[in-house]
Amino acid sequence: MTLVSAPAEEELRGQALAEIRRILGEQRAAASASAGVELSQALVADIHLDSMELLTLAVGLENRFRVKLNEADSAGIVTVGDLVDLVVRRALAAAAAERSAP
Amino acid sequence: MAPSSPPAIAAVGRALPPHRVEQETLIEAFRALWARQHFNLERLEDLHRAVRVGGRNLALPLDQYPALDTFQKRNDAWIRAARDLGAEAMKRALEAARLPLDSVDHLFFVTVTGIATPSTDALLVNALGLREDLKRTPIFGLGCVGGASGIARAADYLRAFPDQVAVLLSVELCSLTLQREDLSIPNIIASGLFGDGAAAVVLEGGDRRPARARFPRVRATRAVFYRDTERIMGWDVVDTGFKVVLSARVPVLVRERIRGDVDAFLAAQGLDRSRIKHWVAHTGGPKVLRAFEEALELPERALERSHRSLEETGNLSSASVLFVLGELMDEEGEPPREGDLGVLLAMGPGFCSELVLLEW
Repeated sequence: MTLVSAPAEEELRGQALAEIRRILGEQRAAASASAGVELSQALVADIHLDSMELLTLAVGLENRFRVKLNEADSAGIVTVGDLVDLVVRRALAAAAAERSAP
Repeated sequence: MAPSSPPAIAAVGRALPPHRVEQETLIEAFRALWARQHFNLERLEDLHRAVRVGGRNLALPLDQYPALDTFQKRNDAWIRAARDLGAEAMKRALEAARLPLDSVDHLFFVTVTGIATPSTDALLVNALGLREDLKRTPIFGLGCVGGASGIARAADYLRAFPDQVAVLLSVELCSLTLQREDLSIPNIIASGLFGDGAAAVVLEGGDRRPARARFPRVRATRAVFYRDTERIMGWDVVDTGFKVVLSARVPVLVRERIRGDVDAFLAAQGLDRSRIKHWVAHTGGPKVLRAFEEALELPERALERSHRSLEETGNLSSASVLFVLGELMDEEGEPPREGDLGVLLAMGPGFCSELVLLEW
């Protein structure tokens, strides 16, 4: 049984991608470049993020969605889509935990 | 007439401010600040632990920092503390060199953490009673490379005036540049890494002979500039003071460039890396030190003094490499021997390197 409806999940995915584009735009000071960031692009191979930029991106997403992305998570993250999936999973889990809290 | 010997490094004096604060205490103090913007505070704590700094000696007691809420207040505090700590380092260096204060002909002053006019070297003429004909060269903006560059520039000067004494003084009070409102990742890393300290190096021209039994001479120096790397490290000077620019490219650039630069520098002297017994590297951070070790294929423990200095005091910007040099020169267990060669090296904003070949 899913606790969140599909449209809500889709909305979260859209918000996560928008936030990634916003953070990358701030970092690169070139909003036009970040606006074109797509789910299929690899964070390092295609967008050429360095370790400081990746860290800033992770922290920005944590702040916006009130989730924690730990070191172990990073192993499976290659593309923007992978990162969006992770953020959505964590945000949904956090929302579910909040609802089940006494 | 026989040519003069290369300039000699007679002594290094080091001074740390008295307010020692352990890294975990600093992390605790930063938590409330970070929580204003950040959700995952454990991640930020880990960043402060990852820089391998055990603690810092701060220019002021920890509880006095929150009141320094403007650039003017921080810089005013910097001017006072820089004068006092600089005076201490200089006195210790000259005492170790067994030279009186009035023997100094030229004072090179290096910093990147505060500004003053008259500059700190001028304040020291009054504070220490230095000579009225002292030549002064204040140098601002070299950042972490300033200690190495300062030795090189002082040595350049002494090649022209081989009967004179020059002092290089570096004072860096990084804690007084902290931008409390800047909660960016580079600033959080910088606030975990950089510390406060001062170091003075006494150099004597080649016609003089330093008092101590064993000392290095500055055999050669080389500056290397890396074009179009201006945003790798530096300050953005903003209304609130100095906002750090720090890129993850620093260790990458070390890996890409330092080996070729060192090899070319040594080859110009008819040497190669196998001849270098002592490596005096700027304590940029754990990643930078690892990059030095790997790129230069250094033996295990070659940079042990740099690692230890980083752990004990944090990165002291331009003063760091001078602290490491001081440790080496004062080594009692296995001190450098006559004929030993050493390379002192640092990198800093520009981006650039400065290499100094030392011969004992």
